[in-house]
Amino acid sequence: MTRVLVADDSETILLLMRTRLEMAGYEVDTAADGQEVVDRWRDGDPAQLPDILLLDAMMPRKSGLDALRELRAMGVEIPALIVSAHQDATDADAPGELEVSGYLDKPIDFDRLLERIAELTSDRV
Amino acid sequence: MAVIGVGRFIQQRQDFEDAIARSYQVEMQARQRLAGGSGSKATRATVVGEGERRRELRDEISADTRDTALLVAAGLIAGLTGALLLFSGLISSMRRPLEELVDAAGRLAAGDRSARVEVGGLSETAALGAAFNEMADELEREASQRDQLDRLKDEFVLTASHELRSPLTSVQGFAELLMLDRDSLTPKQAETVEIILDNCRHLVRLLNDLLDLARSDAGRLGVTRQPTEVAPLIEDVVRTMRAQTEGTHQKLTQEIETGLPPIYAEADRIRQILVNLLTNAHEYSPEGASIEVAARVAGAEVEIAVTDNGPGIPEQQLEHIFERFVRGDAGLTQRVGGTGLGLAISKSLVELHGGTIAVESTPGVGSTFSLRLPVATRVPGGETNRTTAEAG
Repeated sequence: MTRVLVADDSETILLLMRTRLEMAGYEVDTAADGQEVVDRWRDGDPAQLPDILLLDAMMPRKSGLDALRELRAMGVEIPALIVSAHQDATDADAPGELEVSGYLDKPIDFDRLLERIAELTSDRV
Repeated sequence: MAVIGVGRFIQQRQDFEDAIARSYQVEMQARQRLAGGSGSKATRATVVGEGERRRELRDEISADTRDTALLVAAGLIAGLTGALLLFSGLISSMRRPLEELVDAAGRLAAGDRSARVEVGGLSETAALGAAFNEMADELEREASQRDQLDRLKDEFVLTASHELRSPLTSVQGFAELLMLDRDSLTPKQAETVEIILDNCRHLVRLLNDLLDLARSDAGRLGVTRQPTEVAPLIEDVVRTMRAQTEGTHQKLTQEIETGLPPIYAEADRIRQILVNLLTNAHEYSPEGASIEVAARVAGAEVEIAVTDNGPGIPEQQLEHIFERFVRGDAGLTQRVGGTGLGLAISKSLVELHGGTIAVESTPGVGSTFSLRLPVATRVPGGETNRTTAEAG
């Protein structure tokens, strides 16, 4: 089963994402900030690693982009979608080497989100 | 300067007095010679003597008068010369600081906030210079305060828009979740959830509009232009608007000239403008009204016009129609759910495209909003180009 790791500092949004993604048949893991995402690779169970990341651009402690930067530096090649509340923050801060698979605006268009996740994980299942 | 002038004046006066003295001596000698030669005939001498004496006296008086007049004239000339010299000295000592002041004022008016003058010279010009510098300091302080306020405002709008989006995402997301299982809801519940979703969409529109305006003010609203076909764009917008216009039995038609050249534009932004114009036409026109989108070539531009036969816009509102938060009479229809920002943003966007937007309206007859956008021509070195709004 495809595993999605969702990171957002809002518990409500994590619950919403979990519900929608589980309804679509995904296994969902959640993180409250970017540091927790990086920690999955640092000291988590390698068998439990996700197939795709869904990161909020702005989070306390570590932003989604900073977490992705660290993972890329560690050599982690995982598709990552960035969810942002306003495009301005991500336009300027995302250099090409981060290999961001796509950006999504809040409020989230779930039809589009599910479509993107399916595209990005189709070759992994 | 003044001292030199007075010195010269005294010298000139001395020379002049010497000259008068010399001419007086010459005259006395001539008179003595005249008197010596006229004493040979005694009888006539008395009469002649009388006449001579009178003439002499008259001559003397007239000579005195002439001398006085000469003296006065010379004094006047010398005085005037002195005054002129004094004035020219004064003027030139005032001219330099004044010229500097005029130059600095010009620079300040042109936007150079650092324009200042050197304070010095006569006490009056020095005071003027000091006052100017004080005023320029004050202007600079106010301008930097205003800049800071503008930045704070833009930052506030960006932050507010960001902070509002998270709860909005939850509200809209959970309402959508309910609608996914619509069959388990009672009709009343389903209607309630529809209302929540309608209002979420309205809030999103408002936030997007505010964000666009803040970007525009901060000089960060940009368009990425490329050759864009007009007909598919209009057809697409008309298709998405049809659900709304059919709900109110309004007739929505399109009239696109065949063979329209592509325009140089960002398709998403033109779509946004057309949705704004059509939404206005739909919301402000009564049930059963007609709305038409027409496109035609107009010189080196393509004109896209949205016409309705709604109530029209009163003349006093027409001139402010593209300003922010200016809205038509909302009492007219309860359907109007605009943000009051759509036309202001549309105008900014059209101008970023190098185009124009205009309105014509007759109360009781209808309104036409028309935009003109430049036709795409071959651009050397690439086909896309990003234009960003200028700050301010």
